Amino acid sequence: MSEQKTSLTTKGKGLFGELKAHWKAPAQGRYVPYREYKDIVIGVGSNYAGAKTLEYITFAAGCYLMMYHYKLPYLTYSVINIINMPLNYIWSLIWWYVCDNLGFLPKKQERKCYTLYISLVILGLAMIIFNIGDLFNQSGKFVTYLNGLEGINANSAIKILGTHLLYTGWVGARNIFWRKKLIPKFGRYKYGLYCDYVPKCVMVVLIGWLPFYNIPDVITRVWVANLLFACYNVFGFANNLETCTQNISPNLRERILIRTYPLKISHIFNSIFAMIIPVLIGTLRYKWEDINMFRYVIPAVFISFATLTMIFAGRIKERIPQPPIEEKVQIKFWDGMFGVLHNKYRWINNIVYLLDSLGNGMLAITTILYLYTFRLTGLTYSLIVALVQFAGTPPDFFTPYFIKRFSFKQIMIFYQLTRAAGNAIIVLAMLFCGDRIVLCGVICVAVLFFMEMTKTVPTAVSHDMDVRVNDYQMYLSGERLESFAGIFGWFTGPITSFVGLIIPLLLLKYGFNSNWDVLFLDASRTRIIVIPIVIDIVGYLLMTIPYFFWDYDSGKQNAVMEVLKRRAEVTAKKAEEIGEDANSGFVG
Amino acid sequence: MSIYFSVRAVSQEVFSFKTLNNGTYELVKFSNTGNITDLTVGYVSAASYDANDPSGKTIITQDKTKPVTVLHEYAFNCDEKLEIIHIGKEVAEIDGKSFYSCWALREIRVDPENKYYCDIDGVLYTKDLKTLVCYPISHDQYVRANYGYDDWVASDDPAYQDFRDRVLTYVVPSATEKIEMLAFNYASLTDIYLPEGLREIGTLAFFKATILENIRSYTAAQPITDTTFVGEDVFATLYPSLPEGVESIGSDAFNHDQALTYMYIPSSVTYIGHHAFWECVYKDGGDLRGLAQMHIAASEPDFHANTHTGDQWRPQYDYMLFKKTIDTNYSAVRAAD
Repeated sequence: MSEQKTSLTTKGKGLFGELKAHWKAPAQGRYVPYREYKDIVIGVGSNYAGAKTLEYITFAAGCYLMMYHYKLPYLTYSVINIINMPLNYIWSLIWWYVCDNLGFLPKKQERKCYTLYISLVILGLAMIIFNIGDLFNQSGKFVTYLNGLEGINANSAIKILGTHLLYTGWVGARNIFWRKKLIPKFGRYKYGLYCDYVPKCVMVVLIGWLPFYNIPDVITRVWVANLLFACYNVFGFANNLETCTQNISPNLRERILIRTYPLKISHIFNSIFAMIIPVLIGTLRYKWEDINMFRYVIPAVFISFATLTMIFAGRIKERIPQPPIEEKVQIKFWDGMFGVLHNKYRWINNIVYLLDSLGNGMLAITTILYLYTFRLTGLTYSLIVALVQFAGTPPDFFTPYFIKRFSFKQIMIFYQLTRAAGNAIIVLAMLFCGDRIVLCGVICVAVLFFMEMTKTVPTAVSHDMDVRVNDYQMYLSGERLESFAGIFGWFTGPITSFVGLIIPLLLLKYGFNSNWDVLFLDASRTRIIVIPIVIDIVGYLLMTIPYFFWDYDSGKQNAVMEVLKRRAEVTAKKAEEIGEDANSGFVG
Repeated sequence: MSIYFSVRAVSQEVFSFKTLNNGTYELVKFSNTGNITDLTVGYVSAASYDANDPSGKTIITQDKTKPVTVLHEYAFNCDEKLEIIHIGKEVAEIDGKSFYSCWALREIRVDPENKYYCDIDGVLYTKDLKTLVCYPISHDQYVRANYGYDDWVASDDPAYQDFRDRVLTYVVPSATEKIEMLAFNYASLTDIYLPEGLREIGTLAFFKATILENIRSYTAAQPITDTTFVGEDVFATLYPSLPEGVESIGSDAFNHDQALTYMYIPSSVTYIGHHAFWECVYKDGGDLRGLAQMHIAASEPDFHANTHTGDQWRPQYDYMLFKKTIDTNYSAVRAAD
């Protein structure tokens, strides 16, 4: 006993000594000092909690603002997606080109891009302001078709398209401007926080306070809501700092170490607030249906976390082995496109994504379960959600073990099979528990707990593999081509969009439209949940197949990293030889 | 190709019918073009437009050789424009969910020759009046217009009592035995009179009838078919809350009815669905508002022995960050009116 105590004390002292010694400077072979671990905990924690808070505000049927206030027809979201889809192909080409060149374009091309984007803004505004639909023959086929769309007519369809153009132009121009201005200073992953923080806070406040949900006509409500959310979405607030930590070190073990400890600890912020927010909402008169949730609760929480994020953002650095930005290889458009198509692992990932779309369009089972089956609010809601979410935390600490013990292929196949099994049990519970709602709920929560428990390791492994696949892409093409990877969306987008209509159309048939109260009807609720889940189960089973072809392992990854380091050294050396200042790159 | 199919898939026909085995038709789905406020459902119909009419007004033509006999569930789901629906003489089966969330619906008119259904001043019943099928969500607007009320009358206005009696009060006919599921959902009613012969209150029957303050039950010496409240003299006896003889209260039947302040469960009740009185109580400051206590005629053992209750059938209120079920008063004596 006393020996154990001594051993623990020794270990504790050793750890303290280690922390003290490398608080400011990293140990030999490592890249991240321990002080940065502390910054990761607070910075990523705030960023993650802020981004998670924003999940309460989305232009989707599952958002409480849409659900209880805007009340838009369910199919309308899909229709808007289809209206915007064809043009998206063109915009994404330009977008990939700009992004993968980090915003540094030849002058002439930069001017062309700006001209295009500004024209789009002007055209978009004109389409929104004027009723262009009136110019068409109101009895013609085109107008008749548009009028037949759920929640849309000819005029509003054109305004929705105008909104898309406005959004594309606005985001595109900002993208070039801010990338060029901020990436050299803040790096490629967190620069967005610096230009989006203030406008995002303003939009979060506006979205709760602008009373557009009171517009009585559904068609007007649809296009106005679409415009409001387009403006809101112009400014991002993703979990940038966490992405930054995924590229915080060229040392693979150090990356995993950071992912496992400081990063996981940082998520506690969110876990705490994921509990506090529903409790605050529970104190409101109309609970989830109370508009004050969007006027006070969400803005207050978000602005606090966003501010903390900004304070710590500067202290977290990205350190991928890469040539200096000034010496960066210009990626030609076709090279970028074919570069990603040569990456076998991107193909596999996209086939999986394609199969995953079988479940697209289904309602969040947890929302239905907690709100319409269990009728949860306040602390009870928080506790159950926290319990389920917590299920994933302990296994995550064993991620390094799982990575060592099992291959990526084995982990991902296991993951898909557990999803299928868990969902199958939920279906059985829904079908056979009848009106024993509490029993049904207990079974479902137990299954959700199990599914969460078996989710975090595959998710972490998958994130890590995404970074590795990007490393491999850099090895193949000289750049990570993360945006050009969107080329796969050309093939998958229309198919997923079509497949994603299956469930909304079925839900429409079962009575689900703009009024979520239909979920209080037991028979309708069961159909609305069960049928999509069955389709989803089929998807999970099919998703196991592509993983049988996955063969990218640690050996391959180490070899790739060696090559990348060597390339970065050579490029830096060359730059120095010709007398250029090449300090923005990182040589591993 | 996928985009083409997607575009096809989201486009909806104005009418969607299904052929039934007996050669008649079922209206499966109606999708409003945005300007149809008055619709007749009697025969298979098609919508078209007059090329010379710049307004794009919808023209509906009916094929009189193809009668519609069934209205499918959710046939008019979430329509925001329809104000009047005329039910044809051949319609024999209407699902209780057919008119779900028809927010602007004021009247459902039934062809007098219909053998299965009828309407009393725009409210849908089965022909024998035994089942009240649907009280349109915006029926109060129709009644308001009838009595010349352009706007809602505030409760502190001297004319309020008259407005309340005429517009916000409804008398269910004495022959009615069942209130169909969703029948009064979202109804703008403050007072309702239920007949003592009522046996069943359907699922979500009074769901979110948020201003419903008083439920009264009555017996009458003569059959009552006039649903307008003309005074209490027409009733032989009158007492508060649910009528004696009610056997079944469906799940979520009174969900969100926070204006109710008194509920008495007669000893005849043998089934109460889950969440039947959910959200019928709330805290205002430190006080409980709404249904703060549940009064039950039967003794506790008798109630548990004879009545099947679904989960969480009684209201719950916020209590120290959790929920607490309201008190139950067993062996209660019905309050005086």
